[in-house]
This record gives sequence, structure tokens and C-alpha cells, in this order.
Amino acid sequence: MLSFDSVTKRFSGVQAVDALSFSVDAGEIFALLGPNGAGKTTSVRMIMGLLEPDEGRIDLAPALLDGGRVDRQRLGYLPEERGLYQDAAVLDNLLYLAALRGCRAGDARPRALAWLERVDLAERARDKVSTLSKGNQQKIQFIAAVLHQPRLAILDEPFSGLDPINQERMCNWIRELSDQGMTILLSAHQLQLIEQIADRILLIHQGRRRLCGTLDEIRASTASASRLLVDYADPVSPESLGATAGIASARAVDERRIEVQVGEGAELGDILAGLARAGRLTGLTTVTPSLHEIFIRNFGESEARP
Amino acid sequence: MNDRLRLLRTVARWEFNRFFKLSDMIKGTVFMLAFGLLGGAAATFLGRDAITVPDIAVVETGPFQMADFASARLNFLDRRDADLDALVESLDSEDIGGILIVDSADQARLIAAGERPWRWMLEEFLQDARTTMMLDRLEIDQATYRQLTGELELATEFRNRSQASRADRIVAGVAIALVLVAVFMGFAYQFSAITAEKQQRITEQVVSAISPQTWIDGKILGITGIGLVYVVYYAALGLIGATVLTWFGAPFAAGLAVVDPLLLLLFVVFALLGILMWNAFLAGVAATIDDPNTSQKTGWMMLPAAPVGLAFFTLVNPDSALIQFLGIFPLTSYAVLPARMVMTEVAWWEIALALPLLVATIWLFRRAAGKIFAAGMMMYGKEPSLTDMWRWFWKS
Repeated sequence: MLSFDSVTKRFSGVQAVDALSFSVDAGEIFALLGPNGAGKTTSVRMIMGLLEPDEGRIDLAPALLDGGRVDRQRLGYLPEERGLYQDAAVLDNLLYLAALRGCRAGDARPRALAWLERVDLAERARDKVSTLSKGNQQKIQFIAAVLHQPRLAILDEPFSGLDPINQERMCNWIRELSDQGMTILLSAHQLQLIEQIADRILLIHQGRRRLCGTLDEIRASTASASRLLVDYADPVSPESLGATAGIASARAVDERRIEVQVGEGAELGDILAGLARAGRLTGLTTVTPSLHEIFIRNFGESEARP
Repeated sequence: MNDRLRLLRTVARWEFNRFFKLSDMIKGTVFMLAFGLLGGAAATFLGRDAITVPDIAVVETGPFQMADFASARLNFLDRRDADLDALVESLDSEDIGGILIVDSADQARLIAAGERPWRWMLEEFLQDARTTMMLDRLEIDQATYRQLTGELELATEFRNRSQASRADRIVAGVAIALVLVAVFMGFAYQFSAITAEKQQRITEQVVSAISPQTWIDGKILGITGIGLVYVVYYAALGLIGATVLTWFGAPFAAGLAVVDPLLLLLFVVFALLGILMWNAFLAGVAATIDDPNTSQKTGWMMLPAAPVGLAFFTLVNPDSALIQFLGIFPLTSYAVLPARMVMTEVAWWEIALALPLLVATIWLFRRAAGKIFAAGMMMYGKEPSLTDMWRWFWKS
């Protein structure tokens, strides 16, 4: 549906996006993740044609083109910052933005009213946008991005300003749109939500690609995938495992439970033998790292640097 | 319908409806009428003093006879024998309106509580009395006097140009003022329509859906539409007002007669094109402004006032070479040429040259506005320099 090929963008000497390559498949939910200033919004703006890459190319699938040019009406966009006419009514905002995206009023009105009903804002249809809370404005902006039923919806921080309940609802709406065939590219900071809905994830940092793939693929490719929780019948000191081949580190969770970090390229047999030598084993669990942990491990250190 | 035209119409209609409030226009007119009526009522009430016949005590008659002091509008009381202090007391207690002391044919004094509206009537009366007395003294009859004071009438005939009458000048002045109203409305609305939207980040939302050029074109058209509605509205109000006042005897008939349909059509065409041109210019300037409170570029917004100011010079000498040039020059023609057309004869080639030049300038300005906007729309916290804008304009 969309591909980045060595795309680079600089602003007054600052490298916002650096030779970034990735592709988004039709029908998937693709998440862009990265710390602040990683280049997510710049990438999104380049897809939307709001910025032009300095180098590299962005290719869109023929389904998004009309006569060889990008058909903006087949794209939906939820910008990072709220972009609604504050002094105009909610419904008028939706119908105008839908009209700009090629949706006829006859189609847009019933769809807008149905969406407003779903997001519990049907009774605010005639109210000015400025009277809505931040979270409700975000819902309106989300509706505006998908009302015209685009092939590709780009949602920059769709969960921003929403409470946990509405964040969950937003996840459901996004999943539903994806089920209907809409390709979704989103960027967000709510990692546990991304974990729930994203089919594939791209982790970028300082404009460069760090990791890309499904959550399982990302877990498998990170060191944090090799973590074990070991239970013993009797108290065991983590120091007793220090010299075991293949174990990078060990720490006590409690007196009978040890968390072990497996070293790179370690042999599982060596590790198991070492663990068994330390005491009577009663349980062994592989710890699956959350996206949050992967994120912190990948970006935490560099963010902490001055 | 072509997709671009459909989008252009959608944006133009949205911008028009956003800023044009019929209810506000009606409220404004009602307020204006109410204010006018109140003003009229107040003037009538205050003017009552002027139509009340005042009592004026005459203490000294000077070279005049007491019998000469007779007027329908002023009531003279013979108080030649009265004590001046007593008369002042009467004045203070408002029993009389004033005390008149005529010292000579050239000097008279009036004592009054303050400025009174009938003072000019008294002055006029005394002047007439003096003239009559002097004519008697010099033994000059009224017919001779009229001959002496008669004026020479200079009838002017222009061989090459028709003459601009006072009515012509008034109509031209009103026409220029109306265009000025529309241009300055564009000034106010473009700020809200472009700069404020950029600040509110609406721009990113809208321009993700349509091209920057379509968006800027729609804004130019929508805001020009508002300016035109106001021009037509105020012109119609003025015409109605002038017609009504003509029924009551006001001398507007000559002015109304000047307005011929062809001239009106040409005026509307030039006004429309002029407002379009300046709205395109203002759109380009507004697109570069990040914060109107601190921007150095807000001064540019006053530039459209310059040609309108020049147009007023047309009222002084519509046939000068400079004014003729400004009538063709695209930045000034929209105001100067219609003013010239009202006041003098304009050659067909001047109109034929001015029109396409004006249209070409509009096209150039709108393209520049679109390109500057497209390049600068994601520029937050910084404004482009003139060099940036020049580079953007020439970039394909």
C-alpha cells in the first residue's frame, strides 16, 4: 500500500528522517513507534504530501493514485494537533472536511450522524467544536479522518486526550475499520494499546529504522526476549548462578525465585545444567517482554544520555 | 463538474458562510437607522431653541431707528430707558434672551447668557439693516445695488473632454469609498481565514485533503464574495437613502442621474477584479505570517489603501498624464479607472488595456499566494524572508 525507500528529510541542519525504509501492506494496522523527535510526524507529513523528502522516494499503491498522482481523497488523516474549526458546529466541520475529501453530503450526513451516535456525541452535533472537551474533539477529528472511507487512514496520535475507556473504544473502532479493509498507519505513545491492535510495528529513533516486524518478530530480535523466571524448592542466592555459562545476570525476585538474563549466543543446555546445579528446580518460565520493555530497552539508554 | 472546480466551490462557500452573517448585517442596519432616528429626534429637540423667537432688549439703536428693529424671527423690545443692571438681572433670570447695544453702523454688542442659535439671525438682520441704511444714505436704489453686487457667470466648454460636475465627483468619491470598504474587509477576514487557521493547525487538516492552491483560491473567492455583498448592500442602501431624501427635496437627483447602467457595469467589473486582486495579495501575505501580534509583515496589509488614496487625486484632475497611467497600471486601475470614467471621457483602448493587465495580475498574485502558502504552511514559529518567498514563487 505504501513504501519508504531510503527517505531522508532535514530541517535547518537537523536530520529528522535518515534513510528510512519500510513498507505498509494493504489491510494491515501498521504502527510507527519512537521517542519524541524520532521522525514519526515528519514521516507522516511526507506521506500526506505536506512535506517533500530531500532524498529517497515514497511510493503509494495504485489504489491510492489517480492518473499517476496521489488521490488525496483516498487518504484519511488525523493530524497530531487538533485541526478543527473551533467556531463552527461539530456536524458542519465533519460535512465540510468530508466534502473536501470527495464525499457527497448525501453520503456524509448519515455516516457522520451514525459515527456521532457511536462516540456518544449525537446530541452535540449542533454545538460549536470549542465547547467540546479535548477528548471529544479528538473523537471528532478521528471521525473526520475516516468518514469518507479512505483506503489508507493515517492516524497521528489517535489516543491523545482520551481517557482509558475511550482509548479502548478507539482501539475497537480502529480494529473494525481494519476488518472492513481499511489500511491503517498510526503513530502513538500508548504502547500497551499498540500491542493490542498493531499487526506490524516499526520502531524508529533519530529518524532511523531500529526494528520492524510483528510483535513476536520484534520480541525475538531483541535481547530482552531471553529472560527466564526460575523457581526453587529452597532459598537460592542469585550469586550462586553468576559463574554459570550462558547466564548474563541474575537477580532475586524473592528467596525462592530468581530472574535470569540469558547471554547472547548462549546454549540452552548449559543454562539448564547450571540452573539445576544451584538447587532443586520446581518451575521454569520464559518471560515475554512487553512492548513497553522493548521500547525502554531500545530507547531508554539513548534518551538518558545528555 | 470538474473535481477542482467542485472543491473550489466548496471552499469558497465555506469561507463565505463562515464570515458572512446576514443577521449581523441586518442588526447593523437597524442600529444605523435607530441611531439616525435618535439623532434626528435629538436635533429636533435641541433645535427647538433655534426656532423659539427670542426677546432681545435694545438699549442703544445707534444710527438706526427703533422702528427699524422689526423681524418675524426676533422679538426686539424697546428698553432704551431701562437700567442696564436691571436688564442684566432679567437676562440672568431668563426673562429676556439678550441685550443689544448698537454703538454705530459698524459696531454693535450683544450680551447673552451664552452662545445662542439665533445669534446668526441677529447678525444677518443687523447686516441687512445696515445695507438698507447705507443704500438710503448713498441714494442707491435696489436695482442699482443688484447690478453692483451681481456676479459674472463663467460658462466653460471643453473641446476634448466632458466636464466633471460636482455630482460626478460625489458619485466617483462614493464609488472609491465602497471599494475601500471591500478591500479592508478582505484585510480583516484574510487574517482570520489564513493566519489564525495556521495557528490553530487547521491548515494541516485541510491541505491534507486538497491542494494548497485550491484552498487559497477558495479563500480568495469566498472573501471577495463577502466584500462584494457589502459593496452592493451599502451601495443599495445609499441609493435608497438618496432616493428617499430626493423626495424630501434633497439635491441628490443630479448625482443619481450620473449613474448610467454601462458605467455601473464597468464599475462593478473593475471593483470585482480589484477586490479579487488585493485579496489574492493579502492571502499571500497572510500565508507568511506566523503570529499577527509580532509579525513585521502586517504593515503590507495596508498596501491596498495606496491605490484608493491615489484614486481620490482623480477627483482633482482626472486628465493628468499620471492619473491616466494609474488608470491602466494594474495595481491602481481598479480604483482610478472607474473614477476617471465617472468624471471624464476614457478612451476605449485604456479600458481594453487595463482589463487584461488586471486579470493577469490577479492570476500572478493567486499563483504566488498558492506557492508561498504551500511552501510555508508547515513553518511554525518562523516567518519566511523575502528571498524565501521569491525562491518559492519560481519553484515549479
